[in-house]
Amino acid sequence: MTGPGATHRANAKRRSLIIVASVLVIVGLVSFLIQLSGSHPERAWQAYLINFLLWSAIAQGGLLFSAVMHITKARWSQPLQGLSESFAAFFPISFVLFLLLFLGSDYIFPWVDHDLHGKETWLNLPFLFSRDVTGLLVLYGLGLGYLYYALRLRREQIQPKGRIRSLLLEQWSKDQKDAAWCRSRMSLFSVLYIAAYALVLTLIAFDLVMSMEPHWFSTLFGPYHFVKAFYVGLGALIILASFFRLSQGEKSGLSVSHFHDLGKLFFAFCLLWADFFYCQLLVMWYGNISEEMRYVIQRTMIQPWNTLAWTVFVLCFIIPFVILLGQKVKTKPIVMAVLCSAVLVGIWLEHLLLLGPALNHDVTSVPLGFGDGLISLGFLGLMTIAVAGFLNLFPQAALVEAKGVNG
Amino acid sequence: MADRSYVFGLFRDGNQAAAAIKALRDAPWNIDRVHSPFPHHGIFEALRVKKSRVGYFTLAGGVFGFFAGLALSIFTAVQWNLIVSGKPIVALIPFFIVGFECTILFSVLGNIVGFLTQARLPDFRGLKVYDPRCSEDRFGVVASCAKGEQEGLKAFFRERGGEVLLFDSSPVTADDGNAPHV
Repeated sequence: MTGPGATHRANAKRRSLIIVASVLVIVGLVSFLIQLSGSHPERAWQAYLINFLLWSAIAQGGLLFSAVMHITKARWSQPLQGLSESFAAFFPISFVLFLLLFLGSDYIFPWVDHDLHGKETWLNLPFLFSRDVTGLLVLYGLGLGYLYYALRLRREQIQPKGRIRSLLLEQWSKDQKDAAWCRSRMSLFSVLYIAAYALVLTLIAFDLVMSMEPHWFSTLFGPYHFVKAFYVGLGALIILASFFRLSQGEKSGLSVSHFHDLGKLFFAFCLLWADFFYCQLLVMWYGNISEEMRYVIQRTMIQPWNTLAWTVFVLCFIIPFVILLGQKVKTKPIVMAVLCSAVLVGIWLEHLLLLGPALNHDVTSVPLGFGDGLISLGFLGLMTIAVAGFLNLFPQAALVEAKGVNG
Repeated sequence: MADRSYVFGLFRDGNQAAAAIKALRDAPWNIDRVHSPFPHHGIFEALRVKKSRVGYFTLAGGVFGFFAGLALSIFTAVQWNLIVSGKPIVALIPFFIVGFECTILFSVLGNIVGFLTQARLPDFRGLKVYDPRCSEDRFGVVASCAKGEQEGLKAFFRERGGEVLLFDSSPVTADDGNAPHV
């Protein structure tokens, strides 16, 4: 931003982005309500659940990047951390979305009013919602706590404009704590956030994904879910970083090597995700117990789901694996943004693959329609508003100029 | 090549060596070889070396290894045709592990082969134009010029902070006459 003209243009751009995102949210909301009042309300809730899981995972995994980089005292990642932290702005939205999920509990939990053979003590709605709400409160509380101290550390770069920023800056100016104190608080919260991330995402995966087939279980399912969340979090971070690099160029503080390193990390988690899938598959294959294999066979060998399974595998593993083998491609923001978007779509479909067979019995084609896409766009709009709004308040440039965020 | 002289510039500082290499590009002399005790980014840049091709050897090794591993496990399984716990004879899910392990093994072997061929090793003749200090803490730049022009090249290296060694004959065919004189 050099002159008032440039600032004006940037503001106009930002405003139009927010308007587009708001339109997306309205479109998503309207199509959700239309489906809800139609003949298949369960389809609307299914799309809602898939999107809640995916976009929350993006937010949780997105912030995890900054926490991990802080705790490992990384130096290379500083300009990326501001972007990573912006995903935490989705936390409050994600929490409200989870509370709204309660309204659809009749449609999304096939085990309600079923004989669960002793699992009722764990699988009942009041206990499920109370433990998940508590878990999410802890996770999001720790994440926002980390964010609070991360912002406080770079308070000198924050402009005292608007109510929120003035209030925060006033608060921080009362007791002059030095940078080392802020950093130690960040370290504390990042460790706690990382631990809570693993535990709470495991809980969410067990309760909202695995419980759909109440008699099936896999102990590794929780880790599989939180590795996947970091995978999509990194993917979303690459998309956001590409957007900044392409629109601001050098000024974004993002260089070719940032994209290269981030691409390597994304590649690694692509492999880890596939590895966690394979670890579960191999054990089940050897055991060949009918109640375990039924889940796998239904999804990977029987029409229509097997087509979806292969689509997911190709989109989320084969394509990224082959493309990311090369070094140069990781440094190209446009290519990486397209690839990461494909992976995000793939993970959306993967949630459909995990949830779909339990929620749709005796279907001849994959239950995927135009309405699902529109509802997903609504969630995309919500995420855009959260991230853009946060970066409006606390520009990422503040972090590029700050020194020694990770100590 | 016997009519060329080889001048060896030894530098304490990698950046000096890199600057000398850059300047040599515009000079009438040839850069023959550069010795570095450790990888130095400035020197890589100055030399404008092409990207190493070792990666292709690694990739080829890995692809070969994956299929070799699968083939090994399938081949051994069909020799006996024993059905164990109702599993198919050719069971791809566990055979994938053998394929994966062989991918890694053959990638490593391919990498070594690639390194050896790309670095033209083993080299039994040894380097005639060499100073052992290049394996310690000095950067060596070898430049060649037509016989009789050595003085210019020597001055060139001295100007840039280098210590100069002179070799008279070519680095390959040198015999007795190759003792360096400073």
